[in-house]
Amino acid sequence: MSERKNDEFISYELKEFKLFEPLFRWARKKSLWIVAFCTGCGGIEMPPLATARYDFERFGIMPNPAPRMGDLFLITGYVTPKTLKRIIITYEMMQDPKYVLAHGSCPINGGVYWDSYNVVKQLDKYIPIDVAIAGCMPRAEAVMQGIMDIIRKIENGEADGWKRYRENYEWYRKNQDELFGEGWREKDAKRWLAWL
Amino acid sequence: MAVNDNKVETVEKAEEKKPELPNTKEGNLVRELLEKAPYAEGSVRREKRIEFRVPAERIHEFLELASETFEMLMQISVVDWLKENEFELVYQLWSVSESVHAFVKTRVPRENAKLPTVMDIWPVAETYEREAHEFFGIVFEGNPRLGPFILEPREYEKHPLRKDFNTLSYVKTIYGEDFDRYDESKTNYVI
Repeated sequence: MSERKNDEFISYELKEFKLFEPLFRWARKKSLWIVAFCTGCGGIEMPPLATARYDFERFGIMPNPAPRMGDLFLITGYVTPKTLKRIIITYEMMQDPKYVLAHGSCPINGGVYWDSYNVVKQLDKYIPIDVAIAGCMPRAEAVMQGIMDIIRKIENGEADGWKRYRENYEWYRKNQDELFGEGWREKDAKRWLAWL
Repeated sequence: MAVNDNKVETVEKAEEKKPELPNTKEGNLVRELLEKAPYAEGSVRREKRIEFRVPAERIHEFLELASETFEMLMQISVVDWLKENEFELVYQLWSVSESVHAFVKTRVPRENAKLPTVMDIWPVAETYEREAHEFFGIVFEGNPRLGPFILEPREYEKHPLRKDFNTLSYVKTIYGEDFDRYDESKTNYVI
């Protein structure tokens, strides 16, 4: 992965600013604002991260109420189809350099809910994940490790989930429509977001 | 068959012992209610915990009687007894004045399970009945809001908490085939 040049991807930055790309990356990794979307049991791992012991604010990470201002999307546990609709809408509302951190084994392969009718088995089919932390539930140290990973990946330019989502939008859209049925955005999402 | 016979015998023995309700607060509660409703069976399970078994056609009548002492309906839970082909509904009542918890159990057949609603006694029953309807397909006659509640519509049709609902095959059709827990040779199921 490290040998892959950034030029192989479609470039979304202005060519005139190519020179400042390292500066942008440094700024992005130092100011990750999270969208606190606490699904499942991982929400309870957030308070120790935010308070004095692990204190993620020293890395510039800040909880943030609005998806429009968010950079880092934390999926903290299992995802049900109903939550997934909200997750997809929230993810698409976020501004473009956006990163997804999935906690625990449930977003990876279903975890203990592997045969549950109501838990999405592989989140990566529906939205791109940049870093997945294994564990059930990962402790705060593991989440810190995941955050360090995502900071490193932003620096290297490997955290390219938002680019993958644009390039393979048809594939993601096909998977979403397979799960929810065609036209779910018009039917369901309009009820919560009048402007859609 | 031998096992079944033993069960019947023990049930009969229990019925013989039934008149000996303990002379406590709980025992007196059961005795008072059974005097008004002789069609029910009642017993004391332990301190603060009593139990009734009522035939399904008289459940509304019995709960109306019980609501004089038991002011709160805490929950309606359903047990699916697949071999006996019956649903067992457990109405959990709480008496604020006596602080006693009562289970009122009733059984209905699994096919076309129908019961009268108890919303006129406890309005809170609406939510519990909607939940029981969604997960097990029991129809509560008189509840105006029965229908899709929490689940997705396609899950609502299947009533996923029924014992004969095949979760694994449902998961495979919805989320894809590639999540099976096989060992490396793909022959043995691991979990």
